[in-house]
Order: sequence, then structure tokens, then C-alpha cells
Amino acid sequence: MALIVLVVILIVIGGLLAGVYNRLVGLRQNANQAFADIDVQLKQRQDLVPNLVETVKGYAAHEKGTLEAVTNARAAAAAAPNVEQRVQAENALSGALRQLFAVAEAYPDLKANAGFMQLQGELSDIENKLAAARRFFNNAVSEYNASIQQFPAVLLAGAMGFQQRPFFDLGENRATAEAAPQVKF
Amino acid sequence: MQAVGLQTYIWNNNLRSIVLLAGFPVLLLVLLYAVQLVLLGTGFERLPYHGSLNDDFAYAMVATIQSLPLAIGVAAIWFVIAYFGNQTIIDLATGARPVERRDNPDLYNLLENLCISRGIKTPTLRIIDDPDLNAFASGLHEGQFSITVTQGLLDSLGRDELEAVLGHELTHIINRDVRTMIIAAVFAGIISLVAQVIARMLWFRGGDRDDRRGGGILMIVGIVAAAIAGLLAVVIRLAISRRREFIADAGSVELTKNPDAMISALQKVSGHAHLDAPEEVRGLFLENREDGLFGLFSTHPPIEARIAALVQYAGGRISEAPAPVARPAPVTAAPPSPTQGDPGPWGDHPTGPWG
Repeated sequence: MALIVLVVILIVIGGLLAGVYNRLVGLRQNANQAFADIDVQLKQRQDLVPNLVETVKGYAAHEKGTLEAVTNARAAAAAAPNVEQRVQAENALSGALRQLFAVAEAYPDLKANAGFMQLQGELSDIENKLAAARRFFNNAVSEYNASIQQFPAVLLAGAMGFQQRPFFDLGENRATAEAAPQVKF
Repeated sequence: MQAVGLQTYIWNNNLRSIVLLAGFPVLLLVLLYAVQLVLLGTGFERLPYHGSLNDDFAYAMVATIQSLPLAIGVAAIWFVIAYFGNQTIIDLATGARPVERRDNPDLYNLLENLCISRGIKTPTLRIIDDPDLNAFASGLHEGQFSITVTQGLLDSLGRDELEAVLGHELTHIINRDVRTMIIAAVFAGIISLVAQVIARMLWFRGGDRDDRRGGGILMIVGIVAAAIAGLLAVVIRLAISRRREFIADAGSVELTKNPDAMISALQKVSGHAHLDAPEEVRGLFLENREDGLFGLFSTHPPIEARIAALVQYAGGRISEAPAPVARPAPVTAAPPSPTQGDPGPWGDHPTGPWG
């Protein structure tokens, strides 16, 4: 009888452990998926940059500093070895792009160029999608982090290898990055 | 475990739906037992021996188990009829016309993009020529799925809001909610039918009561059990329906990543969602508001509760711009804490999805 009780207790505990584990795995996967969604947008943005730089060069070749900053930021973002540096590099690219569009204001011919207008529109669209994807990712991360700290998961999360994840932090540029880039014609 | 975000919120709601669904077989058993008690009480069925009242109750239990195969058979036939009749009934009821890509490419693309992100076949799109704002999903299996929207919805909603509504209906399809609701409707239908039959039976046999000792007690117990089962069946069916609406809202945000659009779409739809259809079809609508007893008998949760849930679990923000609705802006205060709102009898408080 005592043996049966013991076995039942063990089964219940085992089931509970499996439930907690599966739950955390699901939430971690959810966050990974959300980051992949951000990644798609970031890659698309990187692909647009060379085109943009070429177009601007045609009208404003002597804005070398700004153009180089964009090219370098793009290269750094493409080469970033881990997520944290990646986030930093992508933020730098966002800043450089904003700078470029600000500079472009001074060149009416450039602003009237059809190719430039299209690129500007596409980038603006990507920034909007990025903002949404980032928000969703941060929600998923906060859910995952909160679940790790809940009882009873908090007792096991560390041992099972579930660690807190960083948010997609926008650093100092948060206020400007949250607002979509302005498109003026 | 308590929901701390969108995903855990969806899991909790799914768990609650399953618990509610599991209530139907239990109710059916209670009802069969009630039938046996009433049969014994009216003398329609006689014990093979003369025993005490306790023997009667015990015999009713045995008879209940013996009648199970018959009950399961009846339920199965009912399910088959409901399964095959579903689409025809909905088509006849609402008068929707199918839409091809060339008729409305924007709408079609919106839906197609959402489907691609989930790797599912694009459902048929249908439009109802009606100025009111509503939408519903139908179909029980791949190839039959369809999403229907009203012309009024297309005219009044922005692109993001339309996408949110399509995401809501698509989540119903992904979750096979139509199937769940048919199961619930069939169970509730059988249970209320049998409960009514018991009532009629007693009506006609009322003067012909068996004078055997305890017959009255058996009948009273049976009637009360049948009445409770009949009522609970309806309440559970509607509680499941409301659960699925909360999940579809959350699933829409998962698809579109845009809780704000879902919120503003709900605000616009609120108060303009009337569409003529039978009650079972209305349960599948985007929104269906009927004033009922403390929300226990409504198919949909109040818009206010749905928006509050989106704010709390999906990180939504309520836009300050006044939505074009007859009523004042639904939610002005900060979302209540998760501990607030005492769960009702079915773990489903009419004014709050949390708990």
C-alpha cells in the first residue's frame, strides 16, 4: 500500500516536472520565433541599403561622411557575432539612416528621384513592421522571463538551463526609434 | 498557473475550454440517471423485486450504465447530421457570396499573407451585402473553411483593423473552433431535448401516478437533476463560446503583431454588429451582443472585457481618438490587476477573462 502511494506521488511529481519543462520550452521557442520575425525585417533593410547609398551618391556625392557611416553600420550589422552586438549595430544603422534622410532634405533633385522615393517608402514600411515585431518580441521575452520566475518553475528553471533573456533594447535612441521615420515630399 | 503574457493566456483559455467540454459527458450521465429515476418514479418501469428507496436509486444507476450504448449511438447520429449539414445551413441562413482574388485583391492579399505566415491553405472569402459590421468563420475541415465579412466592415475599417479581424477569424479556423462549437451545440441540444421530454412525460402521466412508496421522491429528484443538467448544458456551451472569442482575439495579435488594430476594430464594431441569423450561427460571429442574465447566456464576452484582456496580456494601447461608436469609449481606466474579478461558477466571470 505504502509502495503504491509512493509510486503515485512520484508519477504526479514527474508529470508536474514534465509540464513545467514543456511550458518553458514552448515559451522560449515563442520568443525565438518572435526574434526570427525581427530578423527578417532587419535583413530586408540591410538589402536595401547598398541601393540607397548608390542612389544618394548620384546626387550628393560629397556627403561622404554620412554615406560612409551608413555603409559601415550596415557592414557591422551584417557581421555582428551575437545578438547583443547585433542589436547595437542595428541601432547604429537606424541612426545612420535617419542621418542620411535628414541630409537628403537639402537636395531637391534627390528627393524628386523616383528610385529614391520608392526606397524611402520601402524603408519606412520596414521600420513600421520592425516596430511591431520588436514590440511582440519584447512581450514574448517578458512572458518567458516572468514564467521562469513563477513558482514552481523558479526552483527548476536554472537547473534545466532556462535563463533570463534580454529585451530588444533600443538604448538611448528609444524615443526616436519608436517613431517611424518621417517621409516628407 | 497564472497568465503572464499572450502565450500563457492562450494556454490557460484552452485548458479552461477543455474542462468545460469535459462537463458535457458528465451532464449526459446525470441526465440519463434522471431519466431512470423518473421512469421508476412514474411506475413506467418496475423493479424486478420489491426493495427500499435506496434499492431504487441503486437500480437506476445500473440501468443508466446499461442505457449508455443507446445514448452514445443517438449522440453519434446527431453528430453526423450536424457535421454534414453545417455549411449548407450557414449558407442558407446568411446569403453570403464567394469572393475571388480579382474581385477584391486587397482583401484577398491580406488574408493570404496571414495564411502564408502560418502555412495554411487560404480559406474561401465571402461577402455579405449588409451595412452592419460583422464577420464569421465557418467550415469543419480543410477545403471547406471560409471567412465571411460584411460589406459594412469593409467600408468602415482601415487596413490594419481589417487584418486584425481576418486574424481573429483565421484563429477560429486554425483552432477548429467551429468543430468545437458544433460538439458543444449537439451536446447541449441533446441534453435540453431529453430534459424537455422528461417534463412532457410527467405532464401527460401526471394523474396516473404510481402509488408505490417513494415514487414521488424519485420523480422529484429526477426532475430536479434533469432541470439542472438542461440549464448547465446551455450555460457551458456559451461559456466555451466566450472562451474561444478571447482566444481568437489573442491569436489575431499573434498573427498580426498589432494589438492596437484589434482594439480599434472592436471599438468600431461595438454596437454596429447586428446581423440576422439563427442563434447557433450568431455564436460564430466576430461580435454578437444580447443582453442576458449577468452575461451567463451570451455567446460573446463584452467588448470592454475583450479590450481589457488585449491591454493586459497583449500589450495593447487604447487609442485616444474617439471611435465612431454610439456608446462612450469602453475602457478608460488602467487594466485591473490579475487578481481582481472573482471567477464565476464556471470559472468564467462575465466581466473579466482573467483568473
